Amino acid sequence: MAARKEAAIRTAGGVAIKRPSTFQQYKTLLRKDLEQEFRTKEMLTSMGIYALLVLVVYGAALAQTSSTLDILQMSGGLLWALIVFTSLLGLNRSFAHEKEQGCLEGILLVPMDRSVVFLAKSTSNLLFLLAVEVIAVPLFYFFFLTTTTPSESFWLLAVPLVVGTVGVAGIGTLLSTITVNTRGKDVMLAVLFIPLVFPLLYACVSATSAAIVGAEGYADVLLTSLALAGGYDVIMILASWVLYDFVISA
Amino acid sequence: MTEVTKKTPKLPEAGQWPDRIAPAVLVVGIVLSTIGFLLAFLWASPVNGAGVNGAEMIGGQMVTNVVLLSQKIFYFHMPVAITSFVALGFAGYYAVRFLMTRNRRFDTCSKIAMEIALLFVACTMITGDLWTRFEWGVWWTWDPRLTTYLILMLIIIAYFILRNAIDEPERRATFGAVLSIIALIDVPICFMVTRLIPSSIHPVVVREGGMSGDMGITLMFCLAGIAMIGFALYRLRFRQVRLTERVEVLKEQLED
Amino acid sequence: MNPILTEIYSTIVPSMPFIIGAYVLMWVALLVYVLIIMVGYKKAEAQMAVLEEAVAERRAD
Repeated sequence: MAARKEAAIRTAGGVAIKRPSTFQQYKTLLRKDLEQEFRTKEMLTSMGIYALLVLVVYGAALAQTSSTLDILQMSGGLLWALIVFTSLLGLNRSFAHEKEQGCLEGILLVPMDRSVVFLAKSTSNLLFLLAVEVIAVPLFYFFFLTTTTPSESFWLLAVPLVVGTVGVAGIGTLLSTITVNTRGKDVMLAVLFIPLVFPLLYACVSATSAAIVGAEGYADVLLTSLALAGGYDVIMILASWVLYDFVISA
Repeated sequence: MTEVTKKTPKLPEAGQWPDRIAPAVLVVGIVLSTIGFLLAFLWASPVNGAGVNGAEMIGGQMVTNVVLLSQKIFYFHMPVAITSFVALGFAGYYAVRFLMTRNRRFDTCSKIAMEIALLFVACTMITGDLWTRFEWGVWWTWDPRLTTYLILMLIIIAYFILRNAIDEPERRATFGAVLSIIALIDVPICFMVTRLIPSSIHPVVVREGGMSGDMGITLMFCLAGIAMIGFALYRLRFRQVRLTERVEVLKEQLED
Repeated sequence: MNPILTEIYSTIVPSMPFIIGAYVLMWVALLVYVLIIMVGYKKAEAQMAVLEEAVAERRAD
């Protein structure tokens, strides 16, 4: 197997080119995305600012509630609403500039497995989303949770965040590839993305709330929800991976 | 290697055997669902609700509970729900066939199956919601069953919005097929997730007890009737869409 | 009617509008779909007739 992978391709002129392994292709594509981001910082700044603005909107939305409102019960849901809307923004952009600069056509000219493109793109989306969450979650804590005392299991919220973001990045990459070719693509992505990601959202909100509130027997709820979210991740990413070839070459 | 004669897949076309039996199926479906309707109201034993203080003899039986008439909605609610799932399954099947063969005929089939699914999901929502309004006293609650169906409906609507937003027929067909496969996978997950996660806020809806024999028979009549009507509608729509497609092709040829 | 019977049948009359509504709306939805199909069919047939005329004219030329 290893020999085949590293096999040299002899072209007509007798020049030997080493065929890059799938993993190298993946790394190259991923590095391209990351380098582009480091240069322009376009995605991270826009998503970060957007997350902050959503938090400000929450501030206005919750301003008239009574002071005894149990913010802990709601915070899981609010946090995930923030993540869903921020990721919608990010996913929309992730393919837009590829399309604008004709980069996608270039990638498609390379004779390689299309699923590598999917894996690279969803990894870069995942990394950007996680980076934004690293900023947004402490901000959320700072604005809304300092007045109360979250349970000791608060740190466990990192697990549903990671599991959920993996699923969002996976299915979101497939859907944003679809919608980049449609009219009114920004709205289109939301229309497709929100219903399809609903089960994951439901499970993750449940897990996150369980971790934040930490009520009696929260571990059971957390585990069940995480198992379901993980199942969604695995099935949906496999399906997206299989179907990606059709989508990107259409 | 010897040359294998590539068998062209038999394409669904208007006027094939399903179309010949479709009118008969439609009539039988209407008859069966009418019988089911009559059985549901005249024959199937009523479902009992909360107990009352005392007992009363009705038709030779001691009745000690409130008789619920609203349950009669169920006899058509469940068949339309099942038919919508079946239609969604067919849409997914034809989507896979389309992606394998790249023949647009399968895309037409998939799209029409999706339409039928949307129609029956809408029927399920209507019947279910009126039942909810009467029994639970609310128009909407985020109950697992309602939630799953709302999401299913939104996904199917999204499918049609997506198709409308793409101009190239080839690309529209591919994206539609991909989305209908994803939808088919997503719905069971949604079904499981909303049921398995313990909900702390909403009251657990007590499941109704098992069905007695006469209720089962009534349900069978309704199920068979609705399924046949669904099939007949599908074929009818298919014939119409095929005719429209042929007209379009002819128009293009004449313009040349 | 004795009070027990009244209680037994207490939900039937209030639930009537909802049951009738459910059945009527369901069949209306199905009928609307049939109507949409029929309108499409008529349109396609009319266009077919126009096309046939166009073909006949072309033949005559």
